[in-house]
Amino acid sequence: MKVDFQTVILKLQEFWSQKGCVILQPYDAEVGAGTFHPATTLKALGPKPWRAAYVQPSRRPGDGRYGENPNRLYRHHQYQVLLKPSPDDIQDIYLDSLRYIGLDPILHDVRFVEDDWESPTLGAAGLGWEVWAGGQEVTQFTYFQQVGGFVCEPVSVELTYGLERLIMTLQGIENVYDLAWNDPKGPSPMTYGDVAQQMEREFSAFSFEHLDAPMVFRHFEDAESMCSQLITNKLGLPAYEYCLKASHLFNLLDARGALSVTERANYIGRVRTLAHACCTLWMENVCG
Amino acid sequence: MFVAEWLFEILSEEIPSRMQPMAQEQLKSLAEAELQTEGLGFETIRTFVTPRRLTLVVEGLPLKTAERTEEKKGPRVDAPAQAIEGFLKTAGVSREACAILDTPKGQFLSVTIKQPGQVTEHILSKVALTLLEKFQWPKSMRWGSSSVTWVRPLRGFLCVFDGKVVSFSYAGIEASNRTQGHRFLAPTPFEVQNFKDYEKKLREHFVILNWQERRQIVKTDVAKVAGELTPLKDEVLLDDVTGLVEWPVALKGKVDEHFMNLPLEVITTPMRIHQRYFPLMDGQGKLAPFFGLIANVDAPDQGKAIVIGNERVLRARLADAQFFWEQDQKHPLEHFNVSLKTRLFHQHLGSVFAKVERLVKLSTRMAEKAGTDPKIVGRAALLSKADLTSQMVNEFPEVQGIMGRYYAQNQKENPEVAQALEEQYWPKVSGGGIPDALPSLILAMADRLDTLVGFFAIGITPTGSKDPFALRRAGLGLIALALNPRFTLSMLETIGWAYDCYSWDELAVPQLKSKKETLADLWKFLLERFKFFLRDVQGSPYDHVEAVLNVADQNPNLFDLSLRVKALDQLMDGEDGKNLLVAYKRASNILKIEEEKDNCTYEGQVKEELFDLGEETELFKNLSQKLPEIEGFVKKGEFVKAVQDLATLRPVVDRFFDKVVVNTDDKNKRINRLHLLAYFRKTLHQVADFSKIEG
Repeated sequence: MKVDFQTVILKLQEFWSQKGCVILQPYDAEVGAGTFHPATTLKALGPKPWRAAYVQPSRRPGDGRYGENPNRLYRHHQYQVLLKPSPDDIQDIYLDSLRYIGLDPILHDVRFVEDDWESPTLGAAGLGWEVWAGGQEVTQFTYFQQVGGFVCEPVSVELTYGLERLIMTLQGIENVYDLAWNDPKGPSPMTYGDVAQQMEREFSAFSFEHLDAPMVFRHFEDAESMCSQLITNKLGLPAYEYCLKASHLFNLLDARGALSVTERANYIGRVRTLAHACCTLWMENVCG
Repeated sequence: MFVAEWLFEILSEEIPSRMQPMAQEQLKSLAEAELQTEGLGFETIRTFVTPRRLTLVVEGLPLKTAERTEEKKGPRVDAPAQAIEGFLKTAGVSREACAILDTPKGQFLSVTIKQPGQVTEHILSKVALTLLEKFQWPKSMRWGSSSVTWVRPLRGFLCVFDGKVVSFSYAGIEASNRTQGHRFLAPTPFEVQNFKDYEKKLREHFVILNWQERRQIVKTDVAKVAGELTPLKDEVLLDDVTGLVEWPVALKGKVDEHFMNLPLEVITTPMRIHQRYFPLMDGQGKLAPFFGLIANVDAPDQGKAIVIGNERVLRARLADAQFFWEQDQKHPLEHFNVSLKTRLFHQHLGSVFAKVERLVKLSTRMAEKAGTDPKIVGRAALLSKADLTSQMVNEFPEVQGIMGRYYAQNQKENPEVAQALEEQYWPKVSGGGIPDALPSLILAMADRLDTLVGFFAIGITPTGSKDPFALRRAGLGLIALALNPRFTLSMLETIGWAYDCYSWDELAVPQLKSKKETLADLWKFLLERFKFFLRDVQGSPYDHVEAVLNVADQNPNLFDLSLRVKALDQLMDGEDGKNLLVAYKRASNILKIEEEKDNCTYEGQVKEELFDLGEETELFKNLSQKLPEIEGFVKKGEFVKAVQDLATLRPVVDRFFDKVVVNTDDKNKRINRLHLLAYFRKTLHQVADFSKIEG
């Protein structure tokens, strides 16, 4: 079976589409994780059922390694699934998805290992596991208990596949840049390195060396202020987008080492306040 | 009467490993209590736990409960009609059915209510529900649209009594006689008749039900795959791994040789903590380039893919570690202190760097007084927290202190400084080893003193289950350290120094406690921890601890006190001690009665000229000789000698009580004999307050 990067994505799209998910596109703003996509954060709130799946490129400026580390990336890809309410047989469905992309749970000793998840910036928390395959964490499996400070009723389940790790396990390779992105026997074979290594080099240099911290601090203030104004005007979705911007700018400052521990806590608190306000407005606008 | 067995399994999604042993205990005690409440007798009760199931089996339950009769007392016969009617209504009987009870307070209505026996099966469905509702997890959650909570979603109930299903439903799940085996190896559900059948079928479906048995398999099989090598002893890891598998299968993986140059802890920490592997040691006790791992499956390729996968993960982790090891050593260790300035210790107690500065002051002072090189201790204190901001410790917090030692060694710091950087965190666990080297000991104590004094001064003390800054642990650690005989300073005095090391003016704490108050609070707290230590760690009986602390309240040397309690344990273990205690109790009882009667305390001078009998003289002579001797031993901390001396008094005092009547008619002689008894009491009190000893 072909297990190149894009085939796995296509297979996951197919699988979750069959499970009734709306297949969405990545959110078109910088985010640190698929959870931040409004299709997860906001849609997990309120009573209405919802099933969605999508790829989300996720930026972690602190993990940038100039394209040289075989495992760490400035930008990696998550495959994100959200099901509300969580189905009773969700573990079995999830394991079927692994089989569907060619990962045999017996051959790879798939395990559910306790890992409670928390996002301080989103005011979100859940209980679940990290799913291991051959000792590698390949998925974060979480039952949302709270988002934006609101209790989740009903409870959504979030599955976050770390695509690079998962597919490295499938292809049995050591270096992410060696991953086959498309069919290695096809007319124009490309590796992960061909597609993404230049970006890794340049963005690592940007965030560690060339980021203008005072300017980014200003951008943070602006994003925060815009978000607040939009909330006053009851425009929840644009407000949430500016909350995401603030969150990403915070990540940039953090990776640059521009924040002391106390300041760091303070900035996290500011983003959380915005996220909470956005979630509150969303509940009012959409959930009544 | 016929008896039968109840089998109840709660199937769920994977239960966190660390919660499993306690869950097994809790299910047992809850079930015992509930069955008792329901009046159901039983013979045995056992519980089991695996990652996916929590199981209860109760044997010897009756098929039906016995008929119960209950006597119910009502109002007086001449009570108002309303009261009588009310009583009859609640009891569900007529006036004629009531008996009349004659009591000294008058005649009362009384009725005997018969509770018919109940079918056990019905009671059990109620008990099963109660167990599910009352069970408490350290953390629980909701799922789907249900409002029920459990540690992870509930997926099935197997509930069988005497071979038949006990029906109930909870969280939208109907109880049945079916369950499932291993998630991957045998997922098809199957029916179960009874416990024996259950355990056997689980095994056929690749589940070892018994936690202890799984643990043993893990232990034995890892040793087996290790071959010539020996798994590093790690009970915590064994427990943890046992809770991650239903069908343990041991495999062996390899570590790339070029990582073997990294420090031992840097290699074993990701192995143990992150990946749950067992490091393997060679015949010389050196780390071998292999590890043991426990899979949850018998894979058709004999685990080849599993081993390859795990080796790859470990390689990535060790590659990171290697990178951090090289990066961290590009700067001198002291350089990392800069980042400590922006790391908060506590909102009101300043940065971690401020703490480091205090530690330098405090430990230097302690070193001067304790007679060791203050320069070495001060240097160790200055570097003590530097490694906390190193990349290695950021990634692997478990190696704090250890990295400090390695980096200091490589940078040619004084060996005692490097040693102290690691040993400042000892004891790592309750009952763990404490440092022997004085610089390490002083730094370890200074660190805990600074923390305890700081938090006590700003009014943060442990209350109930709340202890977010782990002050109890710090207290216990401090006590364990103070029990090193090389620590000779007064604990009270060092607490005072620690208080003075804080720049309280700069910190501007709202509601700061005075030095005196802080000292008093902390000393009281430490004594409580100390009592706990003596009882639970040293294993001394409660009454011995009380007896010693009662006479030694003002002695701030904990090491002496612990020795004294030990000596007392030894004395009370033998016949001499027991008899001495009898004599002591007799003497102090007489004294108590007479002192109360005469409204005075008999502590005056004994007059030899008033003695009639040889036994009086003998006792007095012995005491006169022993008291100063014992006093001397106690001062020198030679408590074993002191109690041996006490033991020699036993035959003398026995003879005294055999022959001498204390309460004689001669008033002066009586008082003289009471003084002699008081002298005996005083001698014993040199070691301990024997009145606190039970016997």
